[in-house]
Amino acid sequence: METRQINCRPGEVAGRGHDLAIEVGGLHQRYGSFEAVRGISFSVRQGELFALLGTNGAGKTTTMEVLEGFAKPGDGQVRVLGLDPWRQRRALRPRMGILHQDAGFIGDLTVAETVDMWRGMSADAGRGTIDNALALVDLENKAKTKVRQLSGGQKRRLDLALAVLARPEVLFLDEPTTGMDPEARVATWRVIQSLRTEGTTVLLTTHYLEEAERLADHLAIMHEGRIHTYGTVDEVVAAAGDQVTFRLAVSAAEAKTRFPQGLPFVAGNAPLVTYAADHLQAVYTLDDGHPGDRAQAAMRTLLSWSDQSGVTLERLEVRRGTLEDVFMRVVGEVR
Amino acid sequence: MKTDVLHAVRLARMDMTVLGRNQTALVNVLLLPLLMAWMFTTLYDRGEIGGVPGGLFILTGLPSMMLGFAVFVNLVNSFTARREELVLKRLRGGQPSAVAIFGGAGLSAFLIFAVQMVLVAVWSSRIEGGAMPANIPLMVVTGLLGVAVFALIAAAFSGITRNAELAQVAVVPVLLVIMIGSPLMVPLSVFPEPLQIIAKFIPSTPVTEVMRTAHLGRDFIGEGGQTLTTAQQWIEALPSLGVLVLWIGIGALLAKWLFRWDPRHG
Repeated sequence: METRQINCRPGEVAGRGHDLAIEVGGLHQRYGSFEAVRGISFSVRQGELFALLGTNGAGKTTTMEVLEGFAKPGDGQVRVLGLDPWRQRRALRPRMGILHQDAGFIGDLTVAETVDMWRGMSADAGRGTIDNALALVDLENKAKTKVRQLSGGQKRRLDLALAVLARPEVLFLDEPTTGMDPEARVATWRVIQSLRTEGTTVLLTTHYLEEAERLADHLAIMHEGRIHTYGTVDEVVAAAGDQVTFRLAVSAAEAKTRFPQGLPFVAGNAPLVTYAADHLQAVYTLDDGHPGDRAQAAMRTLLSWSDQSGVTLERLEVRRGTLEDVFMRVVGEVR
Repeated sequence: MKTDVLHAVRLARMDMTVLGRNQTALVNVLLLPLLMAWMFTTLYDRGEIGGVPGGLFILTGLPSMMLGFAVFVNLVNSFTARREELVLKRLRGGQPSAVAIFGGAGLSAFLIFAVQMVLVAVWSSRIEGGAMPANIPLMVVTGLLGVAVFALIAAAFSGITRNAELAQVAVVPVLLVIMIGSPLMVPLSVFPEPLQIIAKFIPSTPVTEVMRTAHLGRDFIGEGGQTLTTAQQWIEALPSLGVLVLWIGIGALLAKWLFRWDPRHG
């Protein structure tokens, strides 16, 4: 798959109109001589969950910080709920929730006191009780525990409780499930999904591709300050193509003698071949045509080739590409 | 504005809860200055200074030292520790504005200072020649201005203090300047001539002089030491209050320049 920098002008993404909760246009952000974000554009519709993926240092957190109003945009345009997060921070803050990648608590306060303090400083504090907030993240039995005694995962859940306390219109989640056990992670996903159902717009960054695949409506893969892939999860995954893998019980030396012409091309694609002591494995990535058709055609070609060559296929499998395939390709190609 | 005040009150209440649970901070901020006050008055409780008994002279000048501990030391430690623990980052990411965050910290520091002032006032009234303060409104105004000055200086100072451990040491020179460079234990006229001019503009000096004047109802801003009416006390205090207002401006500029919300890296 060819990767390229995507620059979707705000309002032009997927034919969207004026129901945009987040708009980023040509954003550049520089720290001294280092350009952390290099002209990215994307938009997020109201009620949508948008995932920003990327390796460490890709520019995700910098982008989030600009959108949250912590940093003045270096160049380009940024709007959240139609407001400038840097200049109109005061008007915007009551309408947004933020879960930072790392933010501290006052360790001497109990969990309930922490939520109570935060409720007292939230615009819509009357909506939920402390018990409700703690029940949402399954921390009811820790209400009287001092925050410093919580585990990392429990602190992350408390983080989430505080971020969603005022039922924000836009929620920024910077790696929300880092440090959580699998059970807590799934529970957190349920909370995020329920907020989305209620109409909250969510911008999520995560290292867990499964998380993005499960939660996101749209996603973008960032690398070295640029967006390289953008689309719905299905669109992005479809772009990964099918992977057709076969294995033959021949060594590298034998293969050279038996297949002097080399291994066959499938739909114009050469295989990626790896050799072990007693076998070789060939992987074809097919990203043209319809998924079903191209896989079937590939298998027909390979079966016919094996018949003609008189070799037995030890293994032949077809699998749909995954988000991880796309991610690794983006990162690999750019490198 | 109303929201900022509500948020500041909330944050101050939280500060007081946390202070109540931290015995070391409680001793450093609340008890240590009182202990030092007792030590100073015991040491100097002989003869008269500036026309009043030595112990009373020192006690009535102690508010500037109290500001040093309750406001400056307390807030440098608090801002630095909370910045390093990323608590300031969390607060900044929530709904409280920067004004509310600073206001909350200043309010809690003012409450501690006020408690100490009440204790000192009662104490002063019970020693030889002592009486309850003559001009409480002037003391409150001076106290508020003093808290504002030292809170802003503390915010600026925390920005150049790398971590909470260093903060404990870094505040010492400022405390020494407050205690030695202002007329806490001796009148300003005893200072060498060049030092008098410098001391006059240290923010703890106007606090000491006006607080002493307001407490005793006598002129300790000028040279005389004569009894003043309430109106005369206000008039006499105006230049000193002006110096404090000037320091608020300087402190605000320094805080804007040096204060940091995020930890220092590298």
